[in-house]
Amino acid sequence: MSSLHQIRFLLCKDLRVELRKKESLVSMAFFGALILVILNIATGIGKQVDAETGAGILWVAVMFSSVLGLGRVFAREKENGCVAALLISPAAPWEIYVAKALVNFTLMVLSELVLVPVFYVLFGAQLQGTPLTLVPILLLVNLGFSVTGTLISAISAGTRRNEVLLPILLFPLLLPLIAFAVKATSAALAARPFAELLDQLEPMAAFCVIFAVVGYLLFPFAIRED
Amino acid sequence: MTLTNRSSLFAGAAALLMPVAIGMIFFYAPLEKTMGSVQKIFYFHLPLAFSAFLSFFVAFVAGIMYLRTRRQVWDARLAASVEIGVVFTTLVLITGSLWGKPIWNTYWTWDPRLTTSLILWFIYASCLILRSAVEEEGKRATYCAVMAIVGFVDVPIVFFSARLWRSIHPVVIRSDSVGLESSMLITLLVSMLAMLAFWIGLYKFRVSLQLQEAAANELLNPKD
Repeated sequence: MSSLHQIRFLLCKDLRVELRKKESLVSMAFFGALILVILNIATGIGKQVDAETGAGILWVAVMFSSVLGLGRVFAREKENGCVAALLISPAAPWEIYVAKALVNFTLMVLSELVLVPVFYVLFGAQLQGTPLTLVPILLLVNLGFSVTGTLISAISAGTRRNEVLLPILLFPLLLPLIAFAVKATSAALAARPFAELLDQLEPMAAFCVIFAVVGYLLFPFAIRED
Repeated sequence: MTLTNRSSLFAGAAALLMPVAIGMIFFYAPLEKTMGSVQKIFYFHLPLAFSAFLSFFVAFVAGIMYLRTRRQVWDARLAASVEIGVVFTTLVLITGSLWGKPIWNTYWTWDPRLTTSLILWFIYASCLILRSAVEEEGKRATYCAVMAIVGFVDVPIVFFSARLWRSIHPVVIRSDSVGLESSMLITLLVSMLAMLAFWIGLYKFRVSLQLQEAAANELLNPKD
């Protein structure tokens, strides 16, 4: 089987499990919406937030809800010793890496389909930009989060404190990506021209490329059980 | 045995140089015109920052070497340098804040260098937490090696992203000139030397301690 086949096979397997149990998606969307409601209360009921605060709020909700789904991507494999099974299967480690990153990417996109509308309902009164300009920013963050997060979750799932360690290890690495995303999002929410966003989108794309390469190189070491 | 001898050599050098450096800072280096005695913290701040970055670079190299060779000594080197790096970065942040309060009128500002140091602190402190969370030696070494490499790759990106915020950090040493009077420069060099000797001494002690710990574990729980 070619690599593309392997990756598609692994991706379909994980998505099928998710479709049947729906544990990750429901908890991601629910937790994200909950954070948005809490932040709405925390900023003061009846007060309107400006574009910069709104961008921060959106990314807090996306980060914290996504880390829930990411934790499950590998923990599920660890539970019944499935990692060993994956490793002796014909799939190469890097194919597992790509498939897992794609699973997480898909989960993030699906949960954002819930979170972004909720965000607009709660905070959208003062924001001028169309939600469409958020799409490239969301996709780039999802990609960066997935390529970095898949590598780190392979590490944290190997420890006994997966849920605690994952955000502790992952968030410091993602800080630059989030800084760019917040800057770009506040420009998008304030309806500034798209060219202004490019200054942030380019380094975000560079972040994705760098960490995809790092993940590709280091993932085989992180997943090996010895 | 030679390892211990050499580490006490560097520790001895640090014990000699450190008082000399402190003496020079207070009695030889002139008082800075506008900042006064507050500026004297700089003679420790810069060497600390330099040694902290040095430790993260050593950790990065040790991480790569561990993944390539799987030799325990590289894990010991990685662990030692990450530990010292975290302590030194903590001191850099504290000395910087103490200087910043009278000069910038704030303990903290989101300047690129400050932001980079803080995020570095978070990355490598999380690496220490990871070390304490894994008991199997081979696994722990591999995980920490991966984290040390990923963390080091993140450094330039963090610095680049931090330029989103404006910079007010003084740049004393540029590529073309050094903005220091010669007696100040000599004091800085002696402090730097003292700090490096201290760093190497600490590093050697920690590495040998790690190796002894591993050997003791081996004796207590033989593999088979």
